[in-house]
Amino acid sequence: MRGKARLPTLALSAAAVLLAGSAELAGVCGPFTDVAADAFCPFVLEIFTLGITTGTTPTTYDPAGNVSRLQMAAFLSRTVDSALRRSSPRAIADQFWTPRSAAATGATTVGMEPLLPACDGADIWVPNVASWTISRVRGSDGKLLGTWSPAQSPVAALVAMDGVFVTAGTLPGTLFRIQPSQPPGAATVLSSSLGDNPAGLAFDGGRIWTANALGSVSIVVPGPSIPWTVTTVTAGFSNPIAALYDGANVWITDQGRGLRRLDAAGAILQTVTFGPAAGFPAFDGMNIWAPTYNSASVLVVRASSGAVLATLTSEAWPVAAAFDGQRMLVTNYQPASVSLWNAADLTPLGTVLLDSNAHPWGACSDGLSFWVALRDEATLLRF
Amino acid sequence: MRSQRPLTASLVAAFTAVGIGAATSLAGVCGPFTDVAADAFCPFVLEIFTLGITTGTTATTFSPGDNVTRLQMAAFLSRTVDRVLARGGRRAAGDLFWTPRSAASVPLTTIASLTTFGSGSDGVASDGADLWVANNTDDTVSRVRASDGKLLETWTGATSAVAVLAGPMGSVFVAGASGGSTGQLYRINPAQPAGAVTTVATTEFPSGAMAFDGARIWTTNSSSVSIITPGPVTPWTTTTGTFVGGVSPAGMVWDGSNIWITDNSAGTLLRLDSGASVLQTITVGSGPVEAVFDGTSIWVPNGLSNSVSVVRAATGGILATLTGNGLNTPFAAAFDGERILVTQYFGYAVSLWKAADLTPLGTVPMGPGSLPRGACSDGLNFWVVLTGYSALARF
Repeated sequence: MRGKARLPTLALSAAAVLLAGSAELAGVCGPFTDVAADAFCPFVLEIFTLGITTGTTPTTYDPAGNVSRLQMAAFLSRTVDSALRRSSPRAIADQFWTPRSAAATGATTVGMEPLLPACDGADIWVPNVASWTISRVRGSDGKLLGTWSPAQSPVAALVAMDGVFVTAGTLPGTLFRIQPSQPPGAATVLSSSLGDNPAGLAFDGGRIWTANALGSVSIVVPGPSIPWTVTTVTAGFSNPIAALYDGANVWITDQGRGLRRLDAAGAILQTVTFGPAAGFPAFDGMNIWAPTYNSASVLVVRASSGAVLATLTSEAWPVAAAFDGQRMLVTNYQPASVSLWNAADLTPLGTVLLDSNAHPWGACSDGLSFWVALRDEATLLRF
Repeated sequence: MRSQRPLTASLVAAFTAVGIGAATSLAGVCGPFTDVAADAFCPFVLEIFTLGITTGTTATTFSPGDNVTRLQMAAFLSRTVDRVLARGGRRAAGDLFWTPRSAASVPLTTIASLTTFGSGSDGVASDGADLWVANNTDDTVSRVRASDGKLLETWTGATSAVAVLAGPMGSVFVAGASGGSTGQLYRINPAQPAGAVTTVATTEFPSGAMAFDGARIWTTNSSSVSIITPGPVTPWTTTTGTFVGGVSPAGMVWDGSNIWITDNSAGTLLRLDSGASVLQTITVGSGPVEAVFDGTSIWVPNGLSNSVSVVRAATGGILATLTGNGLNTPFAAAFDGERILVTQYFGYAVSLWKAADLTPLGTVPMGPGSLPRGACSDGLNFWVVLTGYSALARF
């Protein structure tokens, strides 16, 4: 009842604030004196409110003026930025900050030498290569929910179909599956006949692809019985270590060769060469961001054409990229740090130094936070 | 266990290998463009080039001083919307750029009591974290975790549950038939341990769809709609909306202004006022079932004419009647922010369209005899009730 009584008062004071506010904007339509208060005014008001336009002067919009392509670029670019900023889970959670120091990050202790984690939207799955464990960490609070114990050294995780798929760096290679709906325990071996030493992996909607560091790519076909069927392709490969799927093709990074687009059978369609060594790339829906380990740069490659859009200067040893819808995070092995870019216009957002022995490795995003594996500190960092 | 560590050693070794070839970067003044100055406007140009919103007037020119025609503007705005939606959704951050290609790639959560008659068109609903599934045969409601498909809880006492609505008032509401020509509205408090549902209102015999208008819960019934007004004491007040000449409501959506129902027997989509009087009648295809609203348009699967009608909610105008793309007894539609999914009941498949421009994205079989029925999205995945398999599929 008290709530009901107070509501009109609140509404009145809100109206008063609005009135006071509009008194400051003395135009006919918002601040603009040359825009009529008609059916078009709300559109003008929206792009002014969102900062998409600032007007031709503080009080004029020049509604009948033409738009040059250069002006249009500004309007569209600001439109994208504004819409993405508002549609992100970060805006809803009032999370407009980014950690500025190692002390401002969250940390969960996982197993020894965590490498390439995967996010399933709620939890993070962390393969710990030296302790032969996989940790499940809850994204909302960083709690360690469970630990699985595969019988080999797990390297990289992928969330797809009915589980979490994990490569093990064995000779020949192994692919495990964890079913997250089951209690923690062992991991099921789906195949132990991948190419030698698999690392990164990707899913194309039907099959799992693994990049095998000792010179091959394996394509694993899910089936009703275990082991699953594996086809391993070696032709032309040097040291594949990472794989991603862009909605049309699988790409791998091949050490000493570059970024390679593959056809459905694993044959090399295109090689984007760069040197000296490629890390673990991420796809943003349009472009592939490829950290070039040991050469202080990150390449941005148009997936549809393979054209290099930009070579971004990074810290000395960038390792792995992850995308949250707005920003690209790149982990740097040395100096131990993470760097961020606006993924839409490639502007750097800064680098945050971590403990010098942290040795960041893989990363993923749950939309709200990035999660970074600190290889030599047995830690999963929330960034 | 630390003895066997071929991978780390090998990876580090691989990382020290020296590659061949140099990066071929773009050599313009602003990105690839030689005619754009590297000034304050360059980042804007660079952004729309990076996003593929512009390709330039040539590979190396942007023609910054030229005007934009309305036709060019259409291309720019359309690409802008596409890029924003692609990046703004949960799927981009989840690195989920694939779509399952076959039934083998679609994991199932088995719910034994979920059968052919066990689910209405709104038989599954998402609360953002979990899925809620109405099970007609054993009067239960299942709670399934979206992140991994685990069956978390089973709620009991929801007699002949056919439809579920998650979210209003922090609760999950379930429509069930209680025998004869009557039905009941049940309420679940998801924060409580699983147990029996609470009966909050009596309705007519429910036909399987529900909606919330911000204040009241609406259910479709076999020949009417029920409007239930929450109150401090139960049973809540139910108003029954009947229709001159009779209707067979099958689907229901709230578009932010009005409730719409599909009339399964008349082949129409009806816009209702707040008292369930018909404001507008739109002829769609035969046997329309469960529609979905995408923020602008209502997608109506026409079960007997193998088509989908796309209707502008603001006007009631038909934007398009979609055919092909595997349409075979389409039953229910769902929307994930970018894509529309339609279940094909006897087609044993689901079909996808890009919601922003109505282009077909393909059809994926769910397996012989799978009988896909109700569907919803949690933003990351679609969830489809496969009544033939007694299972909830993550797609």
